[in-house]
Amino acid sequence: MLETLALMGGGFVNALSPTNLFAMAAGTAIGIVIGCLPGLSAAMGVALLLPMTFSMEASTGLIVLGAIYCGAIFGGSISAILIHTPGTPASAATAIEGYQMTLQGRAGKALGVSCFSSFCGGLLSCISLYFFAPLLAQLAMKFGSPEYFWLSIFGLTIIAGVSSKSMIKGLMSGALGLLISTIGMDPMEGVKRFMFGQSSLYEGINVTCALIGLFSMSQAMILAEKKIRQRAKAAKFQDKIGVTGAEIKRLTPTILRSWIIGNLIGILPGAGASIACFMGYNSARQFSKHKEEFGHGSMEGVAGSEAANNAVTGGSLIPMLTLGIPGESVTAVLMGGLIIQGLQPGPELFTKYAPMTYTFFAGFVLVQFFMLGIGILGCRGFAQISRLSDAILIPSVAVLCVVGSYAIHKNFVDVVIMMIFGVLGYFFRKFDLNPAAVVLALILGPLGEKGLRRSLMLSGGNPAILFSTPICWVLMVMCIFGILSPVFMARMEKKTVENAGGDIPGETGDDPVRTSD
Amino acid sequence: MKKTDIGVVGFMYGVCVLFLVMTLRLKKAAQTYPLFIITLLALLTTLYVYNMVKDAKRLGVTSGLEEVFGETLPGQFAPVMAMIVGYLLAMYYIGFYPSTLIFMVACLWFLKVPKWQMAASTLAVVCLVYAAFAMFLGVKLPVGLLFK
Repeated sequence: MLETLALMGGGFVNALSPTNLFAMAAGTAIGIVIGCLPGLSAAMGVALLLPMTFSMEASTGLIVLGAIYCGAIFGGSISAILIHTPGTPASAATAIEGYQMTLQGRAGKALGVSCFSSFCGGLLSCISLYFFAPLLAQLAMKFGSPEYFWLSIFGLTIIAGVSSKSMIKGLMSGALGLLISTIGMDPMEGVKRFMFGQSSLYEGINVTCALIGLFSMSQAMILAEKKIRQRAKAAKFQDKIGVTGAEIKRLTPTILRSWIIGNLIGILPGAGASIACFMGYNSARQFSKHKEEFGHGSMEGVAGSEAANNAVTGGSLIPMLTLGIPGESVTAVLMGGLIIQGLQPGPELFTKYAPMTYTFFAGFVLVQFFMLGIGILGCRGFAQISRLSDAILIPSVAVLCVVGSYAIHKNFVDVVIMMIFGVLGYFFRKFDLNPAAVVLALILGPLGEKGLRRSLMLSGGNPAILFSTPICWVLMVMCIFGILSPVFMARMEKKTVENAGGDIPGETGDDPVRTSD
Repeated sequence: MKKTDIGVVGFMYGVCVLFLVMTLRLKKAAQTYPLFIITLLALLTTLYVYNMVKDAKRLGVTSGLEEVFGETLPGQFAPVMAMIVGYLLAMYYIGFYPSTLIFMVACLWFLKVPKWQMAASTLAVVCLVYAAFAMFLGVKLPVGLLFK
């Protein structure tokens, strides 16, 4: 206990270094810009900026990525409120009440409520991060090769959960990703596999190149094929951005409910901020004493949605950091950032690398304060940025994709790989296949292969070893849950969207995971 | 059932065949895991084909092209893609900065961005790359074959 407290304290001391504070401020501002641009999504932004964290210390790099994640989720609400176009799917529910408030000349108030609720949701989600992550990591310490095999299978069943329209197509995407993950040297036999004569593929497909291609380059292509539309002018507002004490008192129960909802949704694999915002909004309406305000500019509606989607951020990091199971696209990209730094998610992050992990946690807490400050002070500026034309985004994103992938090993092969994955990602999204499933499979494939082959080697080829411990059985049950949960999630999402009015306004940042949002 | 899904199925079976041929060239012990994955992908694709046939009987067959490419503007998409490919080639021969300047200006001009925005965004992107990658990360960006 004392050791944990010391680590927590040490984490805050490290996080408060000038470099880390600058990283938080810059990451949050970049995240908000990405979030408020309706053409871009959080996953895409994190993937695009991943190469910039290469030379940073592991904790600083993760803080930057975490800040972009939190900033982007909040940033989506700015365009949702001011131009009725959610920047990311996570702010779709915010647009319902937020834009009504703007029409009534209360845009400043809506932005203030959104900022304050996002701050509270994000900050409270850190509690569960501090509390549950080490507990789960202790459990993961008991894992051997068979357990790691089942763990990767569980991760892969999540693929079905993150599939937008067809579960089979999601699984097909995952299987294709697994096949791609076999490219490179065989880990047990030392044989070159499927390298097409390229020695640079010796260590397999570079996950960062794949991430940039699948999420960012494909998005540039999607934007390039559509008619360039002029976005609506952001509403000018004169009212003060902020919330009064009485309003905070009124919003507190809503924020607390949304925190619990968002946190649970975040921890659950396959669900994300886009479903949390509608659930938060719905619960706000259900328990509100001012139900008549809903649909006509309710502060509680904005608070419910924004607190829930930001509460997802901390929760979603728990399975990724402790078990190496990213539940959705942004955490998959964040996991890519962790791997780039030479760190393997799992119990080691809480033992050998505990100071780094707790510095990241502390940074994640402080990022919420930066989000509040930058959000309130910069709302008017971000509102103008949200109108940036797709015509400017297309070549800019393409250049950053090329430079980002080139920077990894300073060779053109990585750029070509990124382009191949970009084209693959484009067609995947066109044909309802799932790019996020490919990423998850690329990350989890080697883990599963090693787990399976090591287990079989230990048992002399007897597959009974895969069913030899209670943890194996628990993980098997979780795999079944992973397969079945999307069905329940889809029903729940349909119901909540219907209850919320069923209308998701305008274009949103195209989320490669849940395109139906 | 959408006809466009036939392409998806064909692609998946094609990948299976390609990897199967390459797997059979590996030594025996290294074949097992890839074969397992190939079988898995082939089974899932076959399951999807079964669903497609079921849907075709129940709901009929639609083209699906309108749904997939309905919003696509080939006159805009193809030139932008060609410019991206050209940009990569140009970068190889004339280096990063000249090719980026040409690509940005050409692409923004083609997409009818006003001149001042064209200049501002080109400058912003080049400055961002220089500051973040060349200065901060110390990445030596390609100078191009012609200037080596």
